[in-house]
Amino acid sequence: MDHDETREQLDLAALEPGGIERLMAGDTPTAQAVAAHLAGCPTCSDELLRLERASHVIRSAVRELAPADLRERTIAAVRAQGVPRGRSAAAAASVPAAAAMAAAPLVPAAPRRRVLGWVAAIAAAVVLSVVATSLIVGSRIDEGLAAQAKSIAALQQVTLATLHISAEPDAEHVQLAGPTNPGVAGSLVFSSSTTQLSVVATGLTPPPAGFEYRCWVEVNGSRERVGKMFFSGGLAYWVGPAPAISGIGGGARFGVSLVEIGGGNLDADPVLIGAFGAGAQSWVGSPSGGGAIFASSGGGPVIAPSGGGASR
Amino acid sequence: MTSGRDAPIDDAAIVRELVTGSEPALEFVYDRYGAAIFAASYRLTSDRGIAEEVVQETFLALWNRAELFDPAAGSLPAWLHAIARNRSIDRLRAAGRRPALVALSSAAGSDEDPTQALERLVAGGSVVAAAAPAPSPEDAAAAADSHDMIRRAIAMMPDVERTVILLAYQEELSQTEIAERLGWPLGTVKTRTRRALGRLREVLGPEFRPGAGSGTDDGMDALPADEER
Repeated sequence: MDHDETREQLDLAALEPGGIERLMAGDTPTAQAVAAHLAGCPTCSDELLRLERASHVIRSAVRELAPADLRERTIAAVRAQGVPRGRSAAAAASVPAAAAMAAAPLVPAAPRRRVLGWVAAIAAAVVLSVVATSLIVGSRIDEGLAAQAKSIAALQQVTLATLHISAEPDAEHVQLAGPTNPGVAGSLVFSSSTTQLSVVATGLTPPPAGFEYRCWVEVNGSRERVGKMFFSGGLAYWVGPAPAISGIGGGARFGVSLVEIGGGNLDADPVLIGAFGAGAQSWVGSPSGGGAIFASSGGGPVIAPSGGGASR
Repeated sequence: MTSGRDAPIDDAAIVRELVTGSEPALEFVYDRYGAAIFAASYRLTSDRGIAEEVVQETFLALWNRAELFDPAAGSLPAWLHAIARNRSIDRLRAAGRRPALVALSSAAGSDEDPTQALERLVAGGSVVAAAAPAPSPEDAAAAADSHDMIRRAIAMMPDVERTVILLAYQEELSQTEIAERLGWPLGTVKTRTRRALGRLREVLGPEFRPGAGSGTDDGMDALPADEER
């Protein structure tokens, strides 16, 4: 092995975690050839030292770089969960959610797609949530108004994002169910080309202190974190970009597990799960009744889309 | 609002815009401080996933509590970093999985060298890992400069090289995995990652650059422009 070949092997090893250590272990013919060259070449040995130093600095610097899509996700999170301000605050306080939704510019005008039954169900859930919170306002004006405005804004954002995604040519819908609790159900709409995803669920109880509902995508048995569920009224939801669904196909699964906040473990049993490519009507679990998706803030089912209404 | 990346900005004016619901103001603040907040949280947690969530929560807190910002009490970036630091620590506490790391030198006796101290502590079962000594202010400043140079170099790289170097060092994918992810020939991936690595070593200075001895003094020149092997 000559200088150039040795340096190529060193470069490539430096680019992989623990690569240089593996190369230096000398347990492959290539590694043994590199070791033999280094033993007789002080120049390449010096190069190895410089490369190790450089790789360490570069790795630590690159690990501190924020992912490019974090900006968009952060802005989306603020839109979805932030307090209404400016025009959105005024809209939340005075405009019925369904009317605001109809006037919203987020859905592309063309091509027009049939408004899906399950999207309509989300819109209806928003309206019902408004009605439910309005009842609270009557008795506790200040707290109720603030909660109502926040709830309406959040649910509007979920609805608008869902409509926006559903307008994509490759939008798909996955129904979700609680594997062990038939009272938990949900709906996922995504576009694998834009990687935008919207998931809503009902029947989930808010997580205990120190825990959160973590969304994940499982491909070939390996789970990748997507986002975490937020709560508004009786609805749990998450909206945002999910690079993990880019080009996703059959056999992959979407799930939600209750995990410790900040914990890296995604292996916990799912409380909600569905299969990509399994067809809009195929429930992974076996929810009794088969169709009640949304609940009012009181928790009881209020909308039960008829069989074809939830498909695209 | 000033648009220049390094131009001085009026924190109070920006926050006033946030209070009125200005998303451009929010985007401006993110562009200005988001990267630094992510880096700070990552340094604290060593977990990119947590750092991402801390960034989101920090900007959500900024949006929700903008009225509470008091420019007389401190700058906007200082406020944001304080929020991010608290969120990061909350996450670590909630996870409860990180032992406190201490410099080995601080655990060693006065007549004990670090190796002896490590052997004693490991044998006693009281330590399984130790942190490196805290860097001196000079070293910390040099490291910050290096990181800044690398960030700028990566930003100026051709897209194909930036993509592979980020996949290699951020997502820790092997060359084969990068080739599979991007659908590129393995040889192309190797060429582009080596070229990107060479560029970054160049900006770091002489002690990091590829040395003489291979017939090429410059690792980048040793590679074809965009070889597909």
